[in-house]
Amino acid sequence: MTGEGTPGEKAYELEGFAVPDQLDAVHALLAQAARDHPALDPMDVMLFETAIIEIANNVVEYGRPEGEVRWKFTIRVREDEIEAELNDTGQEFTPAQGAVMPGEEAEGGRGLAIAEALLDRIEFERLDDTNHWRMVRRLGKTPEA
Amino acid sequence: MTNFEEVDHGTHVVLAPEGKFNLVAAPPLKARIDDLVAAGRIRLVIDLHAVDFIDSSGLGALIGGLKTARQQGGDLRIAAAGNQVRAVLKLTNLDRILIPHATIEEALHDW
Repeated sequence: MTGEGTPGEKAYELEGFAVPDQLDAVHALLAQAARDHPALDPMDVMLFETAIIEIANNVVEYGRPEGEVRWKFTIRVREDEIEAELNDTGQEFTPAQGAVMPGEEAEGGRGLAIAEALLDRIEFERLDDTNHWRMVRRLGKTPEA
Repeated sequence: MTNFEEVDHGTHVVLAPEGKFNLVAAPPLKARIDDLVAAGRIRLVIDLHAVDFIDSSGLGALIGGLKTARQQGGDLRIAAAGNQVRAVLKLTNLDRILIPHATIEEALHDW
């Protein structure tokens, strides 16, 4: 667990079903966090958003039983990093580490590679019948893209 | 559900998705591209000015559409991509085959 965080740190939370319609709610959650933290570099927000949506897509597309998986997103903005925790009730999942960006002709398989490229840490754990994802991007460094 | 506009200019067809070009929006656009190419409309421009976010599904639809069009001797070009789309194209190296033209006019240069 990540503990209580620093005093005054606000957590932005979202709970619901991991279904396509709920992806907009994930975008909205991050947008709310960004509005409350005007010092955040829009480039960091944009690239973090790109990464966490790919992980969310993964749960929506591959989580089973389809349409019945529930998830909880928690976003925290700190001085030097932005973090998203995602807990989902889908089946046990074994993420591939060190995903390679597919070649130009490939029509799929880029999701995890994009997320890994844009995050500084991506952690996964299966605990108590729940998949736990933790995604972190450090702030204020030269963007990759 | 379709969430894109389509304008037939005779020499080419412009398709303009809007909002999030993601796993919800990408399959219907790809299906429409396939139908157009099957009907001989092999020169396509995807106008991305109203797209504020693309995911890997959206990229997959563009690549799939590009391949479909080229297999029939045509092409698929993209125009007016915003910052997030350009960043993701660059990150995935897809900007080499999906060159982000600034405007539709630029995308049409030799058609």
